[in-house]
Amino acid sequence: MPKQPINVVLNGKPVTLEVEPRTTLLRALREFGVTSVKRGCEEGECGTCTVLLDGKLQKSCMVLAVEAEGRKVVTSEGLLGPDGELHPVQKAFVEEGAIQCGFCTPGMVLAAVDLLNRHPDPTDEQIKEGLSGNLCRCTGYVSIIRAVHKAAAMLKERR
Amino acid sequence: MKQTITNDGVGKWVTRQYDVEKAAGTLQYTDDLRFGPELLHAKAARSTIAHGEIVSIDVSEAMKVPGVVKVILGDQFVHRFGLYLHDRTPLAVGKVRYVGEPIALVVAETEEAAEEGALKVKAKYKELTPIFDPVKEATDNSILVHPELESYEHVPFIVPQPGTNLANWFRIRRGDVEKAFEESEYVVEEAVNCPQIAHGFLEPHCCICKEDPATGYLTIWTAAQSVFATREIIAAGLGYPLNKIRVIAPPIGGGFGGKAGMTIEALCLAGAMDPDVKGRPVKLHISREEVMLTSWVRQGYVARIKMGIDKDGKILGMKNTFYFDTGVSAEYGANPVRSAGYTSTGCYYVPNVWTDSYAVYTNKPFGGAYRGFGLPELMGVMETIIDIAAHKIGMDPVEFRLKNILEPGLKTCTGMPMHNHALPKIIEKVVDKVGIQKKEEPRRPGWKRGKGLALAIKAPAKPADASSSAIVKVLGDGTVEILAATMDMGQGTYTSFAQMASEELGIPVKKIRCIYPDTNSHPYDWQTVASRSCWAMGMAVKRAAADAREQIISLYAQYWQVPPESIVIEHGIVKCRSAGKAEPLDERIQNGFKMPDGYYHGGPIIGTGSFVPPDVIYPDNETGQSPKSVVHFTVGAVGIDVEVDPATGCVEVNRVSSGYDVGKAISPMNVRGQIEGGTVQGISAGLMEGMYYDEKGRLLTPDFTDYKIATIKDIPEEIDSFWEETPEELSPYGNRGVGEHSMISPAPAIGNALFNALGVRIHTYPFSRERVYKAVQMSKTGEEDLWDYPYVQEQNYKKAKKEWF
Repeated sequence: MPKQPINVVLNGKPVTLEVEPRTTLLRALREFGVTSVKRGCEEGECGTCTVLLDGKLQKSCMVLAVEAEGRKVVTSEGLLGPDGELHPVQKAFVEEGAIQCGFCTPGMVLAAVDLLNRHPDPTDEQIKEGLSGNLCRCTGYVSIIRAVHKAAAMLKERR
Repeated sequence: MKQTITNDGVGKWVTRQYDVEKAAGTLQYTDDLRFGPELLHAKAARSTIAHGEIVSIDVSEAMKVPGVVKVILGDQFVHRFGLYLHDRTPLAVGKVRYVGEPIALVVAETEEAAEEGALKVKAKYKELTPIFDPVKEATDNSILVHPELESYEHVPFIVPQPGTNLANWFRIRRGDVEKAFEESEYVVEEAVNCPQIAHGFLEPHCCICKEDPATGYLTIWTAAQSVFATREIIAAGLGYPLNKIRVIAPPIGGGFGGKAGMTIEALCLAGAMDPDVKGRPVKLHISREEVMLTSWVRQGYVARIKMGIDKDGKILGMKNTFYFDTGVSAEYGANPVRSAGYTSTGCYYVPNVWTDSYAVYTNKPFGGAYRGFGLPELMGVMETIIDIAAHKIGMDPVEFRLKNILEPGLKTCTGMPMHNHALPKIIEKVVDKVGIQKKEEPRRPGWKRGKGLALAIKAPAKPADASSSAIVKVLGDGTVEILAATMDMGQGTYTSFAQMASEELGIPVKKIRCIYPDTNSHPYDWQTVASRSCWAMGMAVKRAAADAREQIISLYAQYWQVPPESIVIEHGIVKCRSAGKAEPLDERIQNGFKMPDGYYHGGPIIGTGSFVPPDVIYPDNETGQSPKSVVHFTVGAVGIDVEVDPATGCVEVNRVSSGYDVGKAISPMNVRGQIEGGTVQGISAGLMEGMYYDEKGRLLTPDFTDYKIATIKDIPEEIDSFWEETPEELSPYGNRGVGEHSMISPAPAIGNALFNALGVRIHTYPFSRERVYKAVQMSKTGEEDLWDYPYVQEQNYKKAKKEWF
């Protein structure tokens, strides 16, 4: 199938992706080299391919790449600071042992960032609601909840 | 005297290796490796029927898809593979034996072309009657899944029964059970069953294989737990020299046993070794649906236990019959059957034992290793029936357990004396923390509340001579590299190894790095399974690090002309206080020291360590007896507090407390992570997981919509994880494994709590809403036992059941 160029702003930088009409945003990003976007099911069930699309949480296997034309895409690498320092959410995940195999982590971190944008001081219930679209088989989620609370405190301090 | 000082050695809370990369998303898993335009992609066309002879396979339409390079059929790649029993071909040869079995491999320039080509492969079959029921097929030999069983190679401790569907039969014969039953005041006989369940790791299987056309060297990049086992299985299956196969394992996205042994590598090799393909790397990434359909599962089982108990509540005899549904292949699954068998009296002392543990072939996806390896299955039965027995004899279930507990010195069912452990103390804590013996009002109006206890036990299940080796390199900048071919798939072993090396070398953990496995660079390790790595590989890492330390100290002693005993390595600085010396480890560690005699001594510091368990003896194939059948056991207990919504059958967990005797927590952050994670995985399995098939053997639960695993909303309100430390005698730091154990007992604990809440015993896992709702209805009519058969093909089973009861 013939490919066409689409323009997106990827982690703050304008880029052009060459895609077939049937290519999902997930596969397009991965082909471009953004491998933090993981393919766990390609059916919209597991959340490992989560990105922020124009600031909103989106499973990238559930949109076609052509739908992202002209839009902003943020992936987990895009959260890093200018010198590669971890975002407070990423840092909190490391400190609380909220990572095991790490395959769900990039998507989970983005879901947590999105949640904390909406609820800077979340309750356990809000955390569970906000992260319910992202599966994790390793941690039992307990440490992830601890990490999100810690990230909330770290972000508050930074403000 | 200890000659090292560190702040983050054994037992310290330190953060985990590779977590920064994981959080950033920059760590590359197998699917993230890039091979350029050379790379070809493979996709399997799969059987649509459960049992049949292949009449023809038409690949002509597939070959017309632009980009398709080759379609490979089973008769072009006839090799039998297996870890313990060579019963698996990567592509169906002549016959298909389950829905989803690969019948052709399409190799193409792009993944999309391979996917399109696979859809266009057309096969014709002559259908044969498929078999699905392990109980029936254990005795009815009219249809055989593997008529060729006699010709399959196998290890001596697996005992297949040619001419039947039994891939393995493990036995224990000790004392006289019939006499024990006669002498018993009470005899309790009950059964429990459970469907197959899926691992649910989030990274699907992926591998890339390449053959060098000039030399025949094979390179395999794969999401595998155990690079050396993968290499050995492939070498044996292909009849290929071991040294010509290189297996590289990048980080893997969860394993839980599902990536142990060999998984999809041989299928990918069918492409990469094809004469028209070889020279180019071929990638096989299977979809989530294919993972569910055609990779390993935890075996389903139907199990019965008969128990004779005297008037004081002492168990006198136990007769166990376990039918494991091993599906189409038992190459790995034969061993959990054995593992359940040789632990078949659980945490209890029983003088008279008779056990038959069978692996039964059926036309379903194949059973294999799964976190717990036969013990969640065994304890899923044992802890239910112990609870039933306690109620039947009118004794408190906690008291009944404690009365029969396998105290240190008493013999396990294989005749091995039990070592020291803190199980009674753990039980006491769990009972107290959850208030097991206290009835409490439900937190939710109108709901029913109940509490349950279940115990856990497990030994590493492995060959007697499963060995490990490690290399510890001290680099010229004072940092350390550990080459230990254990896969850190999330369990945190690399952090534990770094803490061990820190303890032995006096170098901070942040300067120590474990490298992911590659058979070309790493020394041998048997496998990353069995909760053995911190113990067995831990022995090798400790020895290697101590070896490196002794080399460093000896060089400095010569360099400074001081006694070796006066030297200490403190946070990466080598010191001799009496001589007033303190120098950081630097390039001299690599290049050598110019000694007072004017000559250079030393050179790169490389510490080495090896380990093999010295004294394990296989249980006798007839009686199951052995003076030391396994290296050790980790024991523990789970207490759980649940509430049931009578209107919907919904079960919510208020609180769970899980404790294990880990001997020594090397890396507490990871021990806590393993207990929390395994507890939730166990609760998930107990409440919602099961693989179901229609009457033709087609999987009805091929994705995460139909096969539900716990989301963050399904976790208990409170998880309490703790551990005790009764040191293990032969162990790097007294530690024992804990990775799998946390998954063993949450499910039976829930079953016991539901009985406590409803007065109905559910004998069938999982405790799904439908089933619990049914139990609620039964509680209104005074019925006490709910027994479903896990398969749609239940008619066969009902006949078999009649013969039983």
